[in-house]
Amino acid sequence: MKHSPIRAVAAAPQPLTRRALAKQLTRARLLEAAREMFADRGYEAATVRDIAAAANLSTGAVFASFADKADLFSEVIVAEYEFMHGAMVAATDETAPARATVLDLLTMAYDSYLTQIRLVQAALGFCWMRDLLSEQRHVQAVELVRGHLASVLQRGVDSGELSPTLDVKLTSEMLWETYLSNYRGVIFEGWGREALRARMTSQLDVLISERKLAA
Amino acid sequence: MREEGKQATRQRVLAAARDLFEEIGFEDATIRMIAQRAGVSVGSVFTTFTGKSEILSHVMSDRLEGMYAELDRVVPHLRGHTVDRLRSIMAVHYSIEMRRQRLFVAYVSASFSWTADQTVIPLGQNVRFKGVLADALIEGVARGEVREGVNVDVFVEVLLACYIWNYRLISREGAETARLIDLMDRQIGVMFEGVATR
Repeated sequence: MKHSPIRAVAAAPQPLTRRALAKQLTRARLLEAAREMFADRGYEAATVRDIAAAANLSTGAVFASFADKADLFSEVIVAEYEFMHGAMVAATDETAPARATVLDLLTMAYDSYLTQIRLVQAALGFCWMRDLLSEQRHVQAVELVRGHLASVLQRGVDSGELSPTLDVKLTSEMLWETYLSNYRGVIFEGWGREALRARMTSQLDVLISERKLAA
Repeated sequence: MREEGKQATRQRVLAAARDLFEEIGFEDATIRMIAQRAGVSVGSVFTTFTGKSEILSHVMSDRLEGMYAELDRVVPHLRGHTVDRLRSIMAVHYSIEMRRQRLFVAYVSASFSWTADQTVIPLGQNVRFKGVLADALIEGVARGEVREGVNVDVFVEVLLACYIWNYRLISREGAETARLIDLMDRQIGVMFEGVATR
C-alpha cells in the first residue's frame, strides 16, 4: 500500500470548476501533510501551524477546509480507510481460498501501518471520542473495509470452502476487532510482522474454526 | 500522621476525579476542577500524581476491587453449560463498567497512548479477568463440553478483543448495557462452536 499524494482527489464525481479544483487540491495537500505529521509526532504534538507550513499553506487555509485539528485528523483517518479498502480490493485474488485471503489482506494492512504506528495509536485512541457527524463518516469508512472482508468470507461460503452456517457479518466484525486489538501488541510488546501473522493465524482458527470449513 | 493525611488526600482526589470524569468527560475535566471538588489544593494533587492520565489510571485500578468482589460473589454460583457461564462472566463486566460508561470509554481511549507504567495494568491484560475466563473454559473440558487441546489463551484473547471493541457501540449508536450483552452473547456463540464437543 504505497501512499500517493494525489489519491485524495482521485475520485472526482463530475467536472469541476477551476476554483473547486483548486480547493480540492489544497485539501488533498493538507491531508497528505497532516497524515505525515500525525504519523511522525502523534496527535497531541502535531500542530495545525506546522501542518500548514509543511503543505506550504497558511493556517487560515487549513481552517477554510477543516473545522479544527480534530476534524482534520478525522478526515485523514477516513481517507486512510478508503485507501486501505482500495488496496485490499486490488490485492484480492478471487480464486484463492477465502480464509487464506483474509489472512493475507490483514497481514498487508499490518505491513503498511507498522511503519506508521503513531498514526494508528492516535487513530485508535481518537475513535472513542468523536462528535456524531464525524462518527458517521468514520463508521462508513470502516464499513468499506469490514464489508470487503465479509465479501471474501461470503465468497468462501458460496464456493463451499466455508460452512453455510457461518455468520458472515458477525464473524467479519469480530475479525476486524481482533485485527485492531493486535495493535496493542505492537504498541506495548513490540510485535513485528511475523508475530502478528502468527497471532492472526491462531485467532482465525478460533473465529473460523475447522468446523466452519465445509467438509 | 503525615502519611495518613496523604492517603486521605489521595482517596479524596481519586473519588472526585472518578465522578468528574463520568459527569463532564475526561477531556474537559481539569486538575483545578478535580482539586476543587476534592477540597484540596492544586499543589497537593501534584505532589501525589503527575497528571490527569495517572489519576485516571489509578481510578481504574481502584475500581478493580469492586469488580473482583462481584466476580467472587457470582462465579462460584455459575451453573449450566460452559458457553452460558462465559456469557454470565462477560455480562457481569458490562453491568459494572456501564455504571460509569463515560469513565470506562475515556480509559479505553487513553490506554492506547499510555507508555508502559509498571503500576498500571494495561487494558485487556488483567490477569484475574483472563484467569476467570480461562478457568471456565478449562472446567468445560473437564465436564466434556469443551474439546481437549483447545487454545485457551487465544480464545480468551479474541473474546477480550470483542468485549472491548463492543463499547464502541456507545458512541456509534448510543447502545445500552443490554445491547452490549446481547452482542457479546452472539459473539461467544460463534467462538464456542469452534471449541465445543459434539
